Amino acid sequence: MAGRRFTDRLLESWGKWSIKHWGKALLMVLGITLVMLYGAAHVRTEMTYYSILPAKEKNVKDLKVITENFPMASAVIAVIDGRNIEDQAEAERKVKAVIDELQEKFKKEPYSRYITRTAGRTDTSLFREHGLMLLKSEDIHRFSKIYSDLSFTGLLRNINNDFESVYSGNGDKLSEDEELALSQFSGLEDLLRLMSQAASGKKVTQQQADAVIDKYLFGNPYLLSNDNRMGLFIIEPNFTMNNIDLLAPGVNTLEKGVKETAAEYGVKAGLTGLTTVGRDEMETSEKGLAVSSTTALVLILLLMIFAFRMFSAPLVSGIPLITGIIWTIGWTGFIIHRLNIVTAMYMIVLLGLGIDYAIHLLTAYTQEKEEGAAFNQAVLHALSKSGNGIIIGALTTAAAFFMLSFSKTEMVSELGIVAGFGILSELAAMIMLIPPLLSYRHHRLEKKGKVDHPLFAKVKINAHAVSGLGSFLVKNPLSIALVMTLVIGGFSLFATKVAIEQNIMNMEAKGLESIKLQDEMSDEFGMAPDGLSILSSSIPETKDLDSRLKKLSSVKRVESIAPYVTTEEEAKERTPAIVDFIQQLSIAGMNSSRVNPELLLDEVYRLEDNFLELSDLAWLGNMKKMAGVLSNATGRNLEGEKTTVSVFDTLGGILEAGRTDTGNLGELQKMIQKSLSEKLKEMSSIEPVTVSMVPPAIRDSYVSTDGNTFLVNIVPTKNPWNEEFRDIYKTQVASVTDKATGMILASDVLNTMAREDGVRSSIGAVIVIFLIILLDFKNLKLALFTMIPLAGSFLVLFGVMGIFSIKFDFVNIIAVPLLIGIGIDDAVHINHRYLLEGKGSMDRVIGKTGTALFLTSLTTIIGFASFIPSPMRAMKSTGIVLSLAMAIAFINSVLLHPAVLVLAVEKLKLSINPWRKK
Amino acid sequence: MKKIFLLLSLLAAAGLSCLSALTPAEIVDKADKAFKVGRVYSISSLTVYRGNEAQPVQVMEGYTMEKNGKSYSLTIYKEPQRMKGTAMLMIENDLWVRFASTGRVRKLSSSAKKNSAGGSDFSYADMGESGQGLAEKYTPVLKGEEKIEGTACYKLELDAKDSDAPYGKLLVYIAKDDYRYLQVDYYEDNANTKTMKLSDYRMVHGINYPFKAVMVSHVKDSRTEIVTTVFEPDSSKIKDRYFTTGYLKSIR
Repeated sequence: MAGRRFTDRLLESWGKWSIKHWGKALLMVLGITLVMLYGAAHVRTEMTYYSILPAKEKNVKDLKVITENFPMASAVIAVIDGRNIEDQAEAERKVKAVIDELQEKFKKEPYSRYITRTAGRTDTSLFREHGLMLLKSEDIHRFSKIYSDLSFTGLLRNINNDFESVYSGNGDKLSEDEELALSQFSGLEDLLRLMSQAASGKKVTQQQADAVIDKYLFGNPYLLSNDNRMGLFIIEPNFTMNNIDLLAPGVNTLEKGVKETAAEYGVKAGLTGLTTVGRDEMETSEKGLAVSSTTALVLILLLMIFAFRMFSAPLVSGIPLITGIIWTIGWTGFIIHRLNIVTAMYMIVLLGLGIDYAIHLLTAYTQEKEEGAAFNQAVLHALSKSGNGIIIGALTTAAAFFMLSFSKTEMVSELGIVAGFGILSELAAMIMLIPPLLSYRHHRLEKKGKVDHPLFAKVKINAHAVSGLGSFLVKNPLSIALVMTLVIGGFSLFATKVAIEQNIMNMEAKGLESIKLQDEMSDEFGMAPDGLSILSSSIPETKDLDSRLKKLSSVKRVESIAPYVTTEEEAKERTPAIVDFIQQLSIAGMNSSRVNPELLLDEVYRLEDNFLELSDLAWLGNMKKMAGVLSNATGRNLEGEKTTVSVFDTLGGILEAGRTDTGNLGELQKMIQKSLSEKLKEMSSIEPVTVSMVPPAIRDSYVSTDGNTFLVNIVPTKNPWNEEFRDIYKTQVASVTDKATGMILASDVLNTMAREDGVRSSIGAVIVIFLIILLDFKNLKLALFTMIPLAGSFLVLFGVMGIFSIKFDFVNIIAVPLLIGIGIDDAVHINHRYLLEGKGSMDRVIGKTGTALFLTSLTTIIGFASFIPSPMRAMKSTGIVLSLAMAIAFINSVLLHPAVLVLAVEKLKLSINPWRKK
Repeated sequence: MKKIFLLLSLLAAAGLSCLSALTPAEIVDKADKAFKVGRVYSISSLTVYRGNEAQPVQVMEGYTMEKNGKSYSLTIYKEPQRMKGTAMLMIENDLWVRFASTGRVRKLSSSAKKNSAGGSDFSYADMGESGQGLAEKYTPVLKGEEKIEGTACYKLELDAKDSDAPYGKLLVYIAKDDYRYLQVDYYEDNANTKTMKLSDYRMVHGINYPFKAVMVSHVKDSRTEIVTTVFEPDSSKIKDRYFTTGYLKSIR
């Protein structure tokens, strides 16, 4: 059909010149490759999901601001796990020891080079000085009442009054203040224990009294889990997940240090947090890509040896294949400077696609040789017979990809550019290298006096096997077309069931420690790392958001700078209450050593009653940690049965029996009064609390590095990746503010945009491909027939995905443009050959092209299927979807398309000749 | 159990009874009428599931009555052992608890009524809101018809009249054939945060009563099942003196 076109003349000229001057041709390619290597040197690999988020979207911009400007957002969290130790106290002791040692160890090299600061214990300095100013006025008044009398009896009476009035049996209030209440309960238990010691005549020291009051007022400084067997050690790295060069070495160094120390103490440890997940994504992606590329390359080259019975086939096809990849990376370096997780995957896809051109050329070449053509003639005929087909195939594929470059999402548009240039680079490398390489091989064989390798001489890339299929097609075109239509129709019924993956975590590698630890942190520490966040521009706005968001039923907790600072109004309102408190304290704090055992006994038993009631409420409310602490303090198990002697029993027994060493107890009372009044006075600063007073670890969590923006983290009640819950959580947060951001919203945006981009660019690609085919074949009917197997392939692919619940995600969605670009190729090759061989020759067409089509499809499928063993689930699903897509496209192209052509041209007598030939 | 009775009395539309047939208000009223019973004695078990793990079953004896426009309820825990003898008295908006572990009676703040009852997915308000009924707090709008587990239902949206209502909105599904409540979706801050399904309706003394209620939380991994084993409307077991703090103190 084609006649002497520009491409024919170009291919012929290059063929003649490169066969004759194979050395110069190879040098020319080497020169181009050196330039491209320079470009490749400027490519950085960014293998995280974070790096492919659509950067222009508002909530993605906010997310990036959080990552870049709030150092603690990039915190590496070490989870120290002592659950392998049966004894709870021993586990707690070892976990704390590991945290203490890490605190010291990470001040030194090689760790310190990656760290800004660490936090193994809560910094209580702010509360020690400004504790009262940070309380609401009503709570300052509560404080006033509780500490209006610092004698044992007075203190316990007021604490009892407070328990009975404030909690009022309100389980949710208990839950809200759980950590604070827990430290208070534990502190009180310790105080009673100390009182028992003193009452029984044992000496106690001021240091012991100070420690008890410290625990009572400021709680446990360590970040421990519900049962205290696990602890957190927070590391603020001096890099973020955007610092690709530091990410893996930094996190690996810290991980090694943490694990070594934990092992020394006989406990386990692991890292998590956004930065660690980023490292894991990068490493598993790279590992997956390494496995995939090696598998694909080895299988493809083995297939080449097997198919062409030519030991040099891997070199003849492999050198241009690798050259094409280098050129593609070079283009990427010059144009977009990076490879992301999707474009890096595409490099492996390119192995499967690029080799197709070699297969077409080598098949044509071997067939020519088989038919007795001389070397030069065989190469030139191969170029002229297959060249146009592969050029049109490559152009349609590249056009489909380039359409993606107009997408809104960087991920998709980068894929379009890389993939488009990739196809063109492979095409150019194959056409430029295969003739001179074959010529060099021929030259060597001639020099050695050999005509061909004995095995090569037995080459059987002939038509026999596949021409049988061709004959069957010619005889039964209607039956085949009908059966195929029915199959496509059947699958299409399930096409609408295809779903989109909404959970990025389902796209990560299975069994990643950082992901597992995220779940454990959620269960054991109430932390959910993928919650929504808000960037606020002022302290009053932060406080307002903090109080409104807390009320949402899908919100477990709100974390912000709000509880650590005061506004001017708050300071003004609270100051008089604090001044009153100080005055009252100066009276209450007067040292007194008088203790009335009878009155004290009443309050001790009353306190026990309060503990029991609160324990009942905690048990009913499933607050296991609190129920455990309170039950334990009263000598009961979780079923409420009395199992041991409690501190209430011991102290009550001493007081009741009249054996109290009142003198000693009075001394302890003086020590407690001294300690308590000193600490309470210290807490009573009336200075307003500003951001600059907040400890660095807290400030870095909630205040941007420039001090102008404040972060509000909204901790959800459930895993926010759960689809049903995510909608509730998003809706409720949206009822308060439209400024929320977070990975769940960013991934939603990415999914939506990838889907919209996918549809838009696919439509564009179909139109462009149709036009190219129309221009190439110059026949509207043939162009339309060529599109039929493609449409059928989509329906079957979606149907199979629907039946087997295979979801699309923003990575495997590349199957759509790839299928459009690649799936059309086989039909185009059949068209070319059919037009060349003429009417009534479909059996010969299938015989001549079938093997090549099978091999090219097989290599493409190998390229895609090589992702299936990848640990990264997104890569695995991409491998499955793309392999399926290519297999379906091949079947449709070699069965449905020829059948349609035979029916149309030979039965219905429709013309598919180019317009000018009419 | 009586709590289901009270829970459903939440849906009572006291002010809607004079309207013409099959208006949204009347549909709600018809559905509520089945639950407007004077004095009810019940025994029921409440099981909370966290994830798929069942927590200890709470068996409760319930006494309820309506008198002089006020609703009264007394619930006494029979199981588990830890809670046995703990009792809860509700008179309109007031709530008292008697703890078996200490024998003391404590009055709860009225705000506690919005909180989880017994660690379940029902709030105290769900369990036994004041006898005002929904008509006082919600405006019903017919939203069409829908099938719930194969039964054709009226779908009604009940919008909160003011901030005093515990929920911003309710979607209720009432069977068209016999005006049974089959499902209630609770909305807070524009989102459906929990769903209650009522089933196992049985006719007792002319009252078609659901012996099973399941509340599924959509914001926590939990659900709560209440199964009624004894339901006695107009029961002679109900005495006025039960609904006093004095009686509460005497419970053993």
